[in-house]
Amino acid sequence: MTSLRYSLAALALIGATHSAVAADNLDIIVPFAAGGATDIVARSFEPIFSQQLGVTSVVRNVAGASATVGTAEVANSEGNPNIIGYEPAGALSIQPSLKKLPYGPDSFTYICRTVSNPMFLMVSKSSDIESFKQLVEESQEYPFLYGSSGPGTLPHLAMAALTVNSDLKAEHVPYSGSGPAMNALAGNEIQIMADTETILENYDLRPLAVFAENRVEGYPDVPTMQELGLAEMDFAVWQGVVAPKGISEERTQQYAEACKATVESDKFKSFADKAKADIAYLGPDEFKAFVQKRFAANKQVLKDAGLTP
Amino acid sequence: MDVILAAINDAFTWQALLAIVIGTWAGIIIGGLPGLGSVVGLTIFLPFTFGMDVITSMALLIGVYCGSVYGGSITAILINTPGTPQSAATTFDGYPMTQQGRVDEALGWATFASFFGGVLSCVLLIFCAPQLAKFAVNFGSIEVFALVCLAMLCIVGISRGSLLKGLVCGMMGFFFSTVGSDPITGADRFTFGTYALSSGLDLIPVVVGAFALSEVFVRFSARDEEATTIPEARLRFPNLREIGRRLIELVRGSFIGSFVGALPGTGAAAAAFISYAAAQKLSPRRANLGKGEPDGIIASESSNNAVTGSAFIPTLALGIPGDVVTAMMMGAMVIHGITPGVRLMVDQAQTVYALFVVLIIVNVAMLVLSKPSIGLFRYLFKLPLGFVMGGIVMFSFIGAVSVRGNPLDLVVAALTGILAYVLRRGGYPLAPLVIGMVLGPELESSLRRGLLISRGDFFSFFTHSGIATTLFALIGLFLVWTTVAGVLDWRAKIAARREPVSPSSSRA
Amino acid sequence: MFAFLIHPRVLTALALLLAGAGLSITAWQGPASAMLVPRIVLTIWCVVALAILIGELIRRVPVKRVTLTPLPLLMAAVLIAAIATASLGFLIPALPLVALTLWLFRIRRPLPLLLGTIVIGGGLWFLFHHVLMIRLPALLTNGVI
Repeated sequence: MTSLRYSLAALALIGATHSAVAADNLDIIVPFAAGGATDIVARSFEPIFSQQLGVTSVVRNVAGASATVGTAEVANSEGNPNIIGYEPAGALSIQPSLKKLPYGPDSFTYICRTVSNPMFLMVSKSSDIESFKQLVEESQEYPFLYGSSGPGTLPHLAMAALTVNSDLKAEHVPYSGSGPAMNALAGNEIQIMADTETILENYDLRPLAVFAENRVEGYPDVPTMQELGLAEMDFAVWQGVVAPKGISEERTQQYAEACKATVESDKFKSFADKAKADIAYLGPDEFKAFVQKRFAANKQVLKDAGLTP
Repeated sequence: MDVILAAINDAFTWQALLAIVIGTWAGIIIGGLPGLGSVVGLTIFLPFTFGMDVITSMALLIGVYCGSVYGGSITAILINTPGTPQSAATTFDGYPMTQQGRVDEALGWATFASFFGGVLSCVLLIFCAPQLAKFAVNFGSIEVFALVCLAMLCIVGISRGSLLKGLVCGMMGFFFSTVGSDPITGADRFTFGTYALSSGLDLIPVVVGAFALSEVFVRFSARDEEATTIPEARLRFPNLREIGRRLIELVRGSFIGSFVGALPGTGAAAAAFISYAAAQKLSPRRANLGKGEPDGIIASESSNNAVTGSAFIPTLALGIPGDVVTAMMMGAMVIHGITPGVRLMVDQAQTVYALFVVLIIVNVAMLVLSKPSIGLFRYLFKLPLGFVMGGIVMFSFIGAVSVRGNPLDLVVAALTGILAYVLRRGGYPLAPLVIGMVLGPELESSLRRGLLISRGDFFSFFTHSGIATTLFALIGLFLVWTTVAGVLDWRAKIAARREPVSPSSSRA
Repeated sequence: MFAFLIHPRVLTALALLLAGAGLSITAWQGPASAMLVPRIVLTIWCVVALAILIGELIRRVPVKRVTLTPLPLLMAAVLIAAIATASLGFLIPALPLVALTLWLFRIRRPLPLLLGTIVIGGGLWFLFHHVLMIRLPALLTNGVI
């Protein structure tokens, strides 16, 4: 038992020194459980960011209700200069139009966008569908089923927009995440899925089109939606940093500089490369404008697809 | 062959071995403390893995994971409070054995069954991962619905003597799981306009309330009686002859666990309940199940630890995480530049083999470390009852609030604790509540997805595929069997009541 | 006249039935697709609870003599501490709760009581909040307590 006592004493000592140094403590809220795709990026972002800022930081996972609980926690900490949120696209630009939330797109001080990945329309490699045109034709007799990682997520919204804006006939089947949806695609329970390059590569799927303005590097043969003669559809999975409203101008500037330095650091770049996350930095003002634009666009899609009144 | 040798070399570095020992031991302790489970354990250790190489960080996380799944059984057996939801089924027979003074035997079986299940699932993972993954892909929503229905039926077996009360508790648990956003349309349900409720009720706070807090309340009423002292924890491994006698139970539990683990989205708690239900129908000693029969512990512990190995099957073969925990492992892989996915086995063979070796070492380490860990719990439970209960309250609070960082979860745990106490006093079994809550979400979402896929035609479920038809036939068989057995039982009781003297019916 | 209802088991069954019925009303008012499964679940709940109520009324297990215990006090303390955590942070409600639990479980000598409260309440909080960095709800915005 002596060894146990020593190790406990050592632990207490580490803790004591730790909190003595940590006069300035920053909470980074991640609105997902530890270990998820967003959490991993946030946890790689956190040490570099806090070093730039000169503070001690802790990642706090506040999960639940499509990431809105953690996001609400940031929004509710108005004026608190020691809390920021590492937010996914859905919680900022989709969920506020879907249901009644204690926050809206105006409840935050926007700091920066970190990464952004365009979404692809894809089918299983075992299917005989080679092009979007063929997909539309085959869907006429018997509608296809498309999967998503849950109702009101980006994969759902992208496909809903596509079915509204084209002749594709397809119905939605939501799963509890990308993993189970991929399992269903492998078992031919669903036929179509819209998701990012990570999913496309990991599961060896066939891309038919990309939801972006321009063709994507590495996929020169995959046409954009506009090239297919459809309305412009721009769907990407992005993440960014937000702070609560009411913090000082100076603090906002500090955050923004630290964020810029972080995403430009070699360490974060090499991580992003491994995780197949495309760095796409936007500063405070551009990020704010971007979120507001996406928010309005997504609201329209939800309305057109009959998902909101 | 060179790859395998190189992989063994990777796994037997001192860093990896140290990580395994620390991880497994910490995992056992964390799992054993009520309220703290696999997810909290992994969240604690995840930040440490950032500075390690890939094998060492995997070794640490796998150690914590396997250790915590086993550790939950220690408190389940000693104080009727499963340390993690995965071990809820272990209380059914583990605690009665403790009350009969057979603690050493119960802990011995739990430890050995955990080891056996873990190793067997590793072997399956090594040799049959691609085949099992391919088979698991055949389990679409409708097949999963049939499987979960079958598992739900174990409520009937567990609430023996008070079927109706078990059923109402099962429905209560099922109802709890439906609070919050609807998984299919996203509409809020039973939130009564409060935003805080829209994230739903999490399993951990409910389990903490139903088992840990209600146990504190129950022991409180009897705090001055001699019977409430916690028996001294000892460990006696079963000998070869005993193992031989129950080998079939061990193998069955491990296979069920391995298979359920290979299906994405089910998990260790569901596996343990399914395995226990199977033991209730198939064990030669099934009449004693629930009264302190080692077969019950074996069914639960061999299957939940088998999940630890087989949860890697979809992860490695398809890149699909089997549960929250493997999702976290995948995250750790990504940090180190390994992309899980269909090509992982081909591109990263050496890492994958090293992972297998680590899994086996972890299970051996678990067996070796079981004795000192149980020693620690013996030391803790020797403290005066007040300190133990104060500690349980504190750990329950920490576990409930840290599972997703929501203070509302604490209120849920406290209310469930009070509700569970009232129900226990009224003779309601609580395990069905947990079963309802564990299986409910999967049952509901697979049913609703199945209806979307079959375009609203429920009857086509029965003929959807060979697997579905077989499973539904099994459900029918189970229902007929249970009804016939029930009627026979009832007639025997009536006959016994007609006898002038019936010693068994005297009630105190 | 309703004296036969005053029996703990009958009351429990009655409460279950009423809770199930109340929730059913909500379920039947909600959208049909989202409420499909809750409606089935709650219907089974109500039917089974009714059967239990009838069973308890017929059987009437004799009531145990009611003794006054401070158990409701402990329950109330747990609930109040749980509710208070959201606004006061973790540490402040936890300390009196642990002290009360120890006191009620007959640890009443001042020194063990004080030490127990500090080690179990404060020590565990410190271990998780500051050493293991599992952040518990905090009172101050900088997260120190």
